[in-house]
Amino acid sequence: MIEKFPYGKAPFWLFVIAITSTLVLLAVRRERPPRPDLVMVCFSGAHKAAYEHALPRFEQSRGAKVQVQLANWLSLRTRLQNAMLAGTEVPDLVEMFAGSLGFFTRGPREDIGFLDLTERIRAERLEERMVESRFSLWTARGRIYGIPHDVHPMMLVYRRDLVEKLGIDIDQLKTWDDFVQVGQRVTKDLDGDGIIDRYMLNLPQNGNWALESLLLQRGGQLFDEHGRVAFNSDETVEVFRWYLRQTLGPQPIAHDCGWRQPLMKAVSDGLALFFWAPDWRTYEFQDGLPLLRGKLALMPLPAWHPGGRRTSVWGGTGLLISKATQRPDLAWDLAKFLYFDREQMGRLFADTNIIPPVKAAWNLPELNRPNPFYSNQPLGRLYADLAAETPPVYSAALDAVAHTKFDAAFSRAIEYYKDHGEQGLDQKIRSELSYAEAYLRRMEARAHNLLAKE
Amino acid sequence: MQPIASGRETSSIPPQPSGGAPVARPRRIRQLYTGWAPYAFLSPYLALTAVFFVYPFLNAISLAFYQTNGPRTRVFVGLQNFQFLLTDEVFHTALWNTTVFACASVFLQLPLSMGLALLLNRGNDRIKGFFRLILFSPNLVGQIFVGILFGVLFTPRYGLINRVFHALFQWGLEERWLDNPNLVMPAIVLTSLWIWVGFNMVYFLAALQTVDKNLEEAARIDGANAWQVFWHVTLPSMRHVVVFVVIMSVIGSYQLFELPLALFHENGGFGPDNSALTVIGYLNFVAFNSGDLGLGSAVGWVVACIIFTISLIQIRIARVAKE
Repeated sequence: MIEKFPYGKAPFWLFVIAITSTLVLLAVRRERPPRPDLVMVCFSGAHKAAYEHALPRFEQSRGAKVQVQLANWLSLRTRLQNAMLAGTEVPDLVEMFAGSLGFFTRGPREDIGFLDLTERIRAERLEERMVESRFSLWTARGRIYGIPHDVHPMMLVYRRDLVEKLGIDIDQLKTWDDFVQVGQRVTKDLDGDGIIDRYMLNLPQNGNWALESLLLQRGGQLFDEHGRVAFNSDETVEVFRWYLRQTLGPQPIAHDCGWRQPLMKAVSDGLALFFWAPDWRTYEFQDGLPLLRGKLALMPLPAWHPGGRRTSVWGGTGLLISKATQRPDLAWDLAKFLYFDREQMGRLFADTNIIPPVKAAWNLPELNRPNPFYSNQPLGRLYADLAAETPPVYSAALDAVAHTKFDAAFSRAIEYYKDHGEQGLDQKIRSELSYAEAYLRRMEARAHNLLAKE
Repeated sequence: MQPIASGRETSSIPPQPSGGAPVARPRRIRQLYTGWAPYAFLSPYLALTAVFFVYPFLNAISLAFYQTNGPRTRVFVGLQNFQFLLTDEVFHTALWNTTVFACASVFLQLPLSMGLALLLNRGNDRIKGFFRLILFSPNLVGQIFVGILFGVLFTPRYGLINRVFHALFQWGLEERWLDNPNLVMPAIVLTSLWIWVGFNMVYFLAALQTVDKNLEEAARIDGANAWQVFWHVTLPSMRHVVVFVVIMSVIGSYQLFELPLALFHENGGFGPDNSALTVIGYLNFVAFNSGDLGLGSAVGWVVACIIFTISLIQIRIARVAKE
């Protein structure tokens, strides 16, 4: 038979392999399981575990089957957007990361793949029941597309053992000026080798998230509530100047301790005494540094001015419902069940240290329990007390571009500060911010080509 | 020169009559069979190429003249995308960064690969095989892995690279390779050396083994020193491989994307003040983060033209050098 095949042995065997593999694939092909009533995708393993624990109660009460899937947040965002625009199958509910909404709402309104939840949210007065400022993350062009999952107020975690040894009175650190004053005293080269061994504060040198958090605390914004560029302001100039002084000035108090293992080592070594800590990060310390149990504690951020705001925010997650869902009411009920069920919220806090934005949940026993890792402070209560003060963070279609331009402006300010110090610094910062703003206005003008189709 | 055998000649079927005489039915069927069979074998490849290469290629031409919001909404903007690129400082920065990286690849990475290949070519086969594996292995793990690994190695104070520099030169313990715009490109080049030097070395090593030893020996007898032997005998003998590796390196450099993305994942691969942004990183950002597939297509065409032009120049230079 092989000899009769017109092209010789190799093509014959290729042909046989192709036919055999096709037959094998057909033989072992399994029926695709029926789609559950609702499919939900989230990007956090801790969230998935908590939801899967709670779901049987919902499924039983509603007689519906729900599946929770886990996906990397970056690929989830890109794939979801493309699937929504291409009209292919998408999940019914999706948990998204803060700053993602602009990605989905940049085009004409008809292209937005999420349900407009504004009426539902207002009808059930959710804005009053939750921290209202958190809805800003999920609002675009005046419409609300998501329910906030968290608040993420910002505090400072500090090495209580070392701070007490150095005689620092936490209660006296009410403003950043107080903080810097003490910081300049304790930031030191301890072994005389010309390298500073102990800093007061951990700050990323390139600004990054800390710069934005400080700006929010100071009352500035990257965008205003209408999604327009708003960072070219006096507040931003002040924050840039302060930041450069503390990281690169003649008497620096801050050091970039990095992420993950280097950060954990820095905490462990006491390289810095104070670390930025939204609620979610406290769990990272708790999980990564078991030997420091009882040696860490929390304090509110020092204010920019006496009596000013003692917190900020970093990050956020929200739940959105896909416009393509066949069961919008069931999806809405599931969203409320996951985000408002008391047992569920208590469990999520116990597993993640993340406080819910639902005000009624702040009296849950889990939130008010002393945490032995943090010197028996009631972690949830401390964050809940600051939650109402958290500044809003507005979303915009140009969110990603704006962040790159904002970072670039700060990078150039860094280079300028290294060469010239404070001389002409404010003007330089202003010119870089104006340049970044002009670039974004140009991008906004380009976007009008698409929006004009509406 | 022997003529290349056709498929029919290499098959087990005897030659067919050219016509005139009546042909038996089975033979005609066989003729028909041999007529469509090659296309049947080629059809999966042709179908995949048509769907995943030809169609996107043609679509990208038209897409470059539109502004889009993902795949659904599009507005015709004529040459505005190209106009935007001509005036966009971020794109110029990306192009400059990529060109610097390409130059580093050609003038730093390839000489190092060649040097290692020459060194290994002298050793015995067992040592050669061992070092070939060692030097090639970084290429097996992928750029994302290497990016994450070097992200840790470049950590100020605790990172291995900073520690080594500090131990050797009393410098660099607190150096922020990934935060300082002036050090970002050296950091990317250093990382890429680790990945690609061994990979290119394998090509050069294979080419060195084909060089005629008698020619080298003759040159030595005529009094040529090691450098003269290399420059006048060895290198010209492996010219084709060198041209191939240089062209592939330049093309690969202009397609650099994953490594900066992994090293600077915190800000989407841009690096401080866009110092790590490459043209493909820019393409990815405008097409998939900003959703403007039209502008992304325009970037793709500009990059393709650049690579094509540089490759042509390189081939021309190689031809002139030969002449």
